[in-house]
Amino acid sequence: MLQTDEYTINIGPQHPSTHGGLHAEALMDGEIVKDVAVHLGYVHRSVEKIAESRTYTQFIPYAARLDYLASNLPCLGYVQAVEKLLGVEVPERAEYIRVILGELSRIAAHMLFVGSLAIDLGATTGLVYCLRDRERIMNLFEMTSGQRLIAAYMRIGGVSADLPEGFITAVEGVISDLPKMVKEYDGLITGNEILQARCRGIGILKPELAVAYGVTGPNLRASGVPYDLRKADPYGIYSRFDFDLPLGSRGDCLDRLTVRLEEIEQSGRISAQAVKDIPEGEIMGKVPKVIKPAQGREVYHRIESAKGELGFYLLSDGSEKPARLHVRAPSFINLMVLPHISRGGKLQDIIANIATLDPVLGEADR
Amino acid sequence: MERLILDIAHLLVSWLTGRGMAPVWADLLLLLLQWGTVLAIVTLNVLILIWLERKVSGFIQERLGPNRLGPFGVFQTIADTLKLLTKEDIIPTQTDRWIFKTAPMFFIIVAVMLYAVIPMGQDMAIVDLSAGLLFFISVGALSTICILMAGWGSNNKWSLLGAMRSVAQMISYEIPLAFSLLGVVMITGTLNLGEIVKAQDKVWFFVLQPLAFLTYFIAATAELNRGPFDMPEAEQELTAGAYTEYTGMRWALFFLAEYTNLVAVSALMATVFFGGWQGPLLPSWIWIIIKTYLIMLVFMWLKWTFPRIRMDHLMSFSWKVLIPISLINIVITGIGIKFIQGMGW
Amino acid sequence: MFGKGLGKGLAITLKHALAMDITIQYPEEKPFLEDRYRGSLVYQYEKCIACGLCIKACPNRVLALETFVPEGSKRKQVARYTIDRQYCLFCNLCVEICPTATLYFSHDFELTQFRREDIKVVYLPPQPSPIVPAGIGGTEAPPEAAAAEPAPAPEEADKQPAPPPDTAEGAKRERQVEAMQAALTKNPQKILAKLVQDEEAIELLAAMLGKDTKLSSKLAELMIADRDKAQKLAAGLITKVRKASAAEEVKTDEPS
Ligand code: SF4
Ligand code: SF4
Repeated sequence: MLQTDEYTINIGPQHPSTHGGLHAEALMDGEIVKDVAVHLGYVHRSVEKIAESRTYTQFIPYAARLDYLASNLPCLGYVQAVEKLLGVEVPERAEYIRVILGELSRIAAHMLFVGSLAIDLGATTGLVYCLRDRERIMNLFEMTSGQRLIAAYMRIGGVSADLPEGFITAVEGVISDLPKMVKEYDGLITGNEILQARCRGIGILKPELAVAYGVTGPNLRASGVPYDLRKADPYGIYSRFDFDLPLGSRGDCLDRLTVRLEEIEQSGRISAQAVKDIPEGEIMGKVPKVIKPAQGREVYHRIESAKGELGFYLLSDGSEKPARLHVRAPSFINLMVLPHISRGGKLQDIIANIATLDPVLGEADR
Repeated sequence: MERLILDIAHLLVSWLTGRGMAPVWADLLLLLLQWGTVLAIVTLNVLILIWLERKVSGFIQERLGPNRLGPFGVFQTIADTLKLLTKEDIIPTQTDRWIFKTAPMFFIIVAVMLYAVIPMGQDMAIVDLSAGLLFFISVGALSTICILMAGWGSNNKWSLLGAMRSVAQMISYEIPLAFSLLGVVMITGTLNLGEIVKAQDKVWFFVLQPLAFLTYFIAATAELNRGPFDMPEAEQELTAGAYTEYTGMRWALFFLAEYTNLVAVSALMATVFFGGWQGPLLPSWIWIIIKTYLIMLVFMWLKWTFPRIRMDHLMSFSWKVLIPISLINIVITGIGIKFIQGMGW
Repeated sequence: MFGKGLGKGLAITLKHALAMDITIQYPEEKPFLEDRYRGSLVYQYEKCIACGLCIKACPNRVLALETFVPEGSKRKQVARYTIDRQYCLFCNLCVEICPTATLYFSHDFELTQFRREDIKVVYLPPQPSPIVPAGIGGTEAPPEAAAAEPAPAPEEADKQPAPPPDTAEGAKRERQVEAMQAALTKNPQKILAKLVQDEEAIELLAAMLGKDTKLSSKLAELMIADRDKAQKLAAGLITKVRKASAAEEVKTDEPS
């Protein structure tokens, strides 16, 4: 009998497909994965500590840098947390604007997900098409805030400026083209037999395991658990919109892909409704000039970000700056199931698993 | 036009012998000249191919591809080559030096050797071997060893993994590759590539042997390590596989060799399945160039569309699908030949 | 059937390979930028009232302000205003808080510099000397002078006696801008030829300016203040128009 040895192989932190500074240490037996250990912290920027030395308003651009692929969503979560802390009312129009931008961000993030999955599996062209379409959403962000990727558009009490002229028509144009784009991804990426063979039945995340680990977002829904904060605990004005929760049945990589593709269309649906109903009016609520929440007040606010349940815990010490900020980062928690779903698979499956868990390292490391 | 190149060669030989040179020496000189031409063609081809590949990928991805250097950016590859030539040659300390250094050289030598038997026009094979096809397949298989050398010599897990993959892949695809060509050999009854081409003056074998053609096409993609079968350098998993530790010109040699292989395999495909140098109007050596390039365009198209296959799927695809298909093809061809003979056609 | 998806993918890539490319050839072709695009932060010396609100608002300590009180006056004046662009988050908080709209984001996104010190922009009071160009409001100090100390040292203020903002100069510029705008509306082709070479582009641009007076006044202002920027704006506009017309053409082509 030949004697064989197990060996470790380091995927990352410098590696083409770890989406940033992720380091996965795989224990391998030939091409078969015995175990994976996830090492984090390569892009740690101590965002939570920075918050303690910034005023409530000043932290907004940093919040945008948490999940830089859908920057409006973490911003939204943060400003809503502060609004809860202060008890500020947000004007209707601002709420609608937030919904539109939030959903557009989600679409952008999911498009990048589809593209990065494609390139991680070796189909470069899929990425390029996704980026091309995502660019149109980036242009919309540029219209509103002047920033494309990391938009600091949300403000405590509202948004920084009213929608520019022509924005609504532009959004409608993008939304109406969404089905066409998704169809193209379906043809090139999802429908491809090679990709299906690489994703179907790979990295199965059992619903029980997902719930036990606190996995949220599309990853959880791909496992068949109908849990979405927009429905389960509607924040803002989400209870007014009509949309479906796409669910998977197997919890494998393919489900995680299709769920996101369907979510792109659902998000388009929400934005279409928001665009239709958006009222005229103020965009900023009544916010004190100097934001000083009462001492000892604390709040936990969570939203459904593109990656899952994104929560902000804020504690006030009565000064202009928060005493403590904690971010419940969905990417971080979702990543923790990577060893479980990778064991017993092949080396190439780890890549597919990382890609479909869709971590954004800025958020996971904070 | 048609016999232009041949005439030049004959003229040269007769001129040399006329000056009192022994015919043996003249032939040897001609051979050297031919090899020089092949090398020049190979390099030129690779330069064009890399540019073409970039352009094709650019167009597929709605980009423009290189367009700065020269008309349509044709000189981009030359600039890149210059850059690679000036790069520092880094040899990591822990490598197996000799193996590490020689692997790229062997790889390119093996790749160029393939050109010896390809008829690049009517009667224009460098060596008109009677077992040309066999030569091609066996020399083509040698490149496996070079990749293994690179992977082993690099002393790096990624490289080794890439090399092992490529060995497994190439060995398993060698079989359907050879089997698929067997059908053609059975029909023509010869291994000489020139004869095979001549046998296609009425029908191309791609019509007579569609199954064999399909198998050959897939197996050749795998042999060439091109997407969707680019296991050895699966960038997204293995960083750069067997070539991870190589820099500068050594790395470029691998690149060169891969494209050289691509041309050779496409030329063989054109020869065996698409009537080789046969075609109307234009001289024969232009026809084979046209056919080869068209085939290579298809290879590029595939590469820039498909994701990479997983290693174990790749293996099972070869053993469970391609090999049975090619075996069936041989049986069908045999029956067909017998049938036709029996009918006395 | 196995292979259907593969074929579909191939068809899609083939379709795109034959379709028009979407690349913008950057240095020659400028991308179209939206109005609110945040390229780089610009400060206008004349407008600033030295209130320091922007300094407080900035999350990343990008801005620094030194003030002094000139003799015989009670109002603070700016001795030096520094924008250390490398730390800017482009969050707009400073712009939003400024009471006099002193700060704004220009469309100039080419912020790369060869030396790190050059990233920092320092605005000093306008000098009376003729060497100083009447730029957007100040000059860039040499890097040695840029080592900004927050303390507004009086000696330093002595060294740089700041005259009151040059009102005569400002008025002159306003006249110039007006003249330029008049010329632009009267004979756009001639003026635009200074900015753009392409005949067709000039026509396009002229048509566009005729429709939009706001745009032409902006262009006129830029032409006086900074020819380069005007050129960039013109190029950006042309790309936009061309893109739009190209898109229209495609649309009209399709049904036929
Ligand atoms: S944009 Fe933000 S980071 Fe930049 S200078 Fe203004 S306040 Fe500071
Ligand atoms: S807020 Fe405006 S006016 Fe006040 S110091 Fe800053 S730039 Fe000057």
